[in-house]
Amino acid sequence: MSGRAWADAMRAAGAVPASYVPEGSLGRTDLEEVAGAEAVENAELRVHPADAPGLSPPAASFLDGLQYWKVVFYDGVLPIVHVHVACAVRRRGADRKLRTADHATRDFHLAHLAGLKPAVRRLLDEGGLSVVDLPDGAAAQPGRAQEAARRAVENARVALEKEVGERCAARLGPDEWLVQDGLLSESAVLSGHPRALGVIKSHGAQYFEGPELERALTIPAGHRTSVFRPRGRARHEVYSWYLRLWPWEGNDLLFGLLRIEARAHPDTVARASAISGWLVRERAPLSTPDARWDRLLYPIHDVESYLKALAPRDLLPAPASRLPKTGT
Amino acid sequence: MIDKTAPAQTPVGRVVATELKPATPHQFHFWTATETSIGIGAIVRVEEPGNGKRETGRVVYGVVTDALAYSDLATPLHDVVGAEGDPVRAAAAPTVRQEIRLWTAAVLRQEPAEPLQPVPLGEVFVATDADVAEALRMDAYLHTAQPTAIPIGLYTSGGLEAPVYLDADFLLGPEAAHLNISGVSGLATKTSAVEFLLSSIFHHFPSHKGRIAAVCFNVKGSDLCFLDQPGVLDDEDRRRYARLGIPAEPFAQVRHYAPFKADGVNLNTLRTHPDLVGDVQPLVWGLQEVLDFAEVLLNRDDIDAKADAFIDFLADRVVGRDFEDGFGGRHRVQSFADLDRLFRSIFDGLELTGRSDMWRTHHIATMRKVRNRLSNISTRCKGLVTDDGPSNDLPWGRFEDRTVYVVDLANVDPLGQDLAFARIVSKLRERLEHHDLGVDAVVVFVDELNKYAPADGPETYVKKMLLDISERGRYLGLVLFGAEQFRSQVHRRVVGNAGTQVFGRMDMDELATPSYQVMTPATKIKLATLPVGELMVRHPHFTQPIFVRFPRPAVLRGRDGVERFPPGTDLPFEDAVVRQLLRLDRSLAPNRIKDLIDGRDPEDVRRALAAVRRKRPDDVLVAFRRELGGRVSPDVPRERQAVPPLNTISEEPY
Ligand SMILES: Nc1ncnc2c1ncn2[C@@H]1O[C@H](COP(=O)(O)OP(=O)(O)OP(=O)(O)O)[C@@H](O)[C@H]1O
Ligand SMILES: [Mg+2]
Repeated sequence: MSGRAWADAMRAAGAVPASYVPEGSLGRTDLEEVAGAEAVENAELRVHPADAPGLSPPAASFLDGLQYWKVVFYDGVLPIVHVHVACAVRRRGADRKLRTADHATRDFHLAHLAGLKPAVRRLLDEGGLSVVDLPDGAAAQPGRAQEAARRAVENARVALEKEVGERCAARLGPDEWLVQDGLLSESAVLSGHPRALGVIKSHGAQYFEGPELERALTIPAGHRTSVFRPRGRARHEVYSWYLRLWPWEGNDLLFGLLRIEARAHPDTVARASAISGWLVRERAPLSTPDARWDRLLYPIHDVESYLKALAPRDLLPAPASRLPKTGT
Repeated sequence: MIDKTAPAQTPVGRVVATELKPATPHQFHFWTATETSIGIGAIVRVEEPGNGKRETGRVVYGVVTDALAYSDLATPLHDVVGAEGDPVRAAAAPTVRQEIRLWTAAVLRQEPAEPLQPVPLGEVFVATDADVAEALRMDAYLHTAQPTAIPIGLYTSGGLEAPVYLDADFLLGPEAAHLNISGVSGLATKTSAVEFLLSSIFHHFPSHKGRIAAVCFNVKGSDLCFLDQPGVLDDEDRRRYARLGIPAEPFAQVRHYAPFKADGVNLNTLRTHPDLVGDVQPLVWGLQEVLDFAEVLLNRDDIDAKADAFIDFLADRVVGRDFEDGFGGRHRVQSFADLDRLFRSIFDGLELTGRSDMWRTHHIATMRKVRNRLSNISTRCKGLVTDDGPSNDLPWGRFEDRTVYVVDLANVDPLGQDLAFARIVSKLRERLEHHDLGVDAVVVFVDELNKYAPADGPETYVKKMLLDISERGRYLGLVLFGAEQFRSQVHRRVVGNAGTQVFGRMDMDELATPSYQVMTPATKIKLATLPVGELMVRHPHFTQPIFVRFPRPAVLRGRDGVERFPPGTDLPFEDAVVRQLLRLDRSLAPNRIKDLIDGRDPEDVRRALAAVRRKRPDDVLVAFRRELGGRVSPDVPRERQAVPPLNTISEEPY
């Protein structure tokens, strides 16, 4: 069935076409929590200078993922959501150019299946995409359905990133590093890999309080904190530290602040300054015009641009207003 | 020649269009990999993605006219920030930014042509031989029952090489005609390009269009003096000749013409090496020939109806007839000398009788002026114009097919050059009109066109004549190939009427003039830095100018020619006469000739020589003796007054 015919059939079955991109559907949610940390490198959190020039791996692969979703129908008040998640790895070799090393996407429909009219339900299976069920609790209210969808989408993206990341880690050359945008601790393979890093730009989760928190969030540019072990939500054990790329004074506390995740291993402590020195050098080229350029490494920005360029156009919020459409 | 075997191709680029840079029916943009063979002037093919119904989509051919490169850098300042103000660090950044090569192309052709639509956003391929033929609409005259294709050079791009053809119907008439080539001295290869193209025309001018010849005016040194001699070619040149289907050989048939020097016996040309001078024909005109073109002399300054009327009177009533001067003298004017005798006798008569300032209806001042002008030309163009005696001219009516007639005017006074142009071109025109030239079409090559048809300055006869050819010549088969350094210095309509326009390396200042406004800055830069042997060609079938490469002409360059064949030194009078006669009869004994002319008036010798040359008798010596004895030297000693030059052109250095 062609896309147009399917949409017509859905309409005939009682589903109402929609075009709604929930706000924040393009980004990820921050986890607002205080998790706590365990000292690893120093008994009390301290500030260390990052080595200059630091590590200089001959090759590095950068991984990032992306998620788009959009309500395309309502059956009654139940949203039917089209989801697109994608993940790519771009590898940088001796010529300093980034080339795609891996790329995977998943498109599927999300809905609370039990709540759908039987005809709509049947048609959904014929829509050409796999169909994923939303948990029961999502059926009660559109808002809750949306929240459940958001979580399902994020899980799908994380799963895809994990799959691609692990595939990439298996192929990694002896001196080659893998830098992933976001948590390393989602994957057992990656969190145990000696040359995999997670680079976290959002600081919803906090691990310190009081003077240690102040020290962590006010490190000067080109410096890092002691290595610590984050506690809390992490699925797999990793080591972590904060790193400041750009001076925050005159800007914002979190300006240029990254949190790095790496294997929970004594080598990580030994190499934290060298790794930090390398990442400080990744400040250039700047990833402008992205607003998060102070924390967004250019290669990650590049992977993101790559994914965006290949993403289906119809899942983007319409550039025009949502005024009623005229004509057909 | 056109390679029709098309291997499966991979696309080199992709058409992109945005609201700000949309694709239109005449222009499109595409990107390529950073390393690409595409460059300004490259011809590309765009294929519309198939519509899934196994129908081939629209195909568009374009030529690259502009190019952009940029990276994802938001502002230059961010590069500075990233490098912390240190350019060395900028180069050391761990990642190279994404960058783009974005090309702009002008549409050459769309298939199908109707309905005319914006260029589809398809894949871009490097053009093949067949694509080039298609793109330039050469199929219309290349693969027909009666092809009219004349190779002009090779389009080369990214390892591909395709012959480019002009359409004879549009280069040599009747649909359009004429060619103009411009570019800086030495690097534009203007003269070379014309030489090459003439050889191409001679080999490819289709037989159904008849016979063709070329008349080349050599106005610069030894430029065109050795067209019959082989030049130095390298393997690449020879390969190009083969690819274009032209034998890499000098012209098989060349006829050289040059006036004499002032001595009337040594030829005024650089082709005077003993091995070569033998086939240089003297170009000599007498009073009759000059009077026909007296207009050329007069309208250079004050056009004077009275002088015109007097010249008409001389031409109609006096020259070649028995004429009574009104003071009892009888004249039969056949030469400048005869004419001068007539003038003298009239002036003397008027003075003796003291009657008035009028003779017949002509004022004495007008007569003096005409006399001055005519005497002026016989003085300044001594050697081209004989004072006395008959002429030796181009073989009117007997022009041969595929033959170059080189008329060497390089060392002739500007006045004489004008006269030669005017006379030869007018004769060509007249003969072609009556279909009795001997060939059906003639290419007239005028180098340094800016001197003969300048953009500004007076409306000289020569300028008017060149304008006339460029406007009407195509119907007659009279085709002008003009060359000049600066197009802007040539009369607008003369260049404007040239159906084919060729550009070699150009001067930047010239490119800044309004006539080049239509070109993109990139095309201008390409023109300003064009390597020798490369040309940009505009031709009626080509929607856009095309860059081609041509091989060196297979003829000896003028400057190499004078090295290989150093000009002979001028011979003493008697030896020169001997040589002239020996050309008519190799068996003559030089001493017998010298004996004959010993003690004779040189004027008589020259006249006798000219007469023999014209009559081509069986027994040269007898005829020569008869001509010598047939007349006595004029009893009135000649005392010509050289008048100063009439206009500024004569001051131009040559
Ligand atoms: N196809 C070619 N490839 C390489 N070199 C060439 C080619 N044709 C000509 N040349 C060289 O370029 C030089 C200049 O050529 P040419 O005399 O034709 O230039 P021109 O434009 O007529 O110069 P000018 O304005 O001085 O008369 C010559 O030395 C010639 O050997
Ligand atoms: Mg020249």
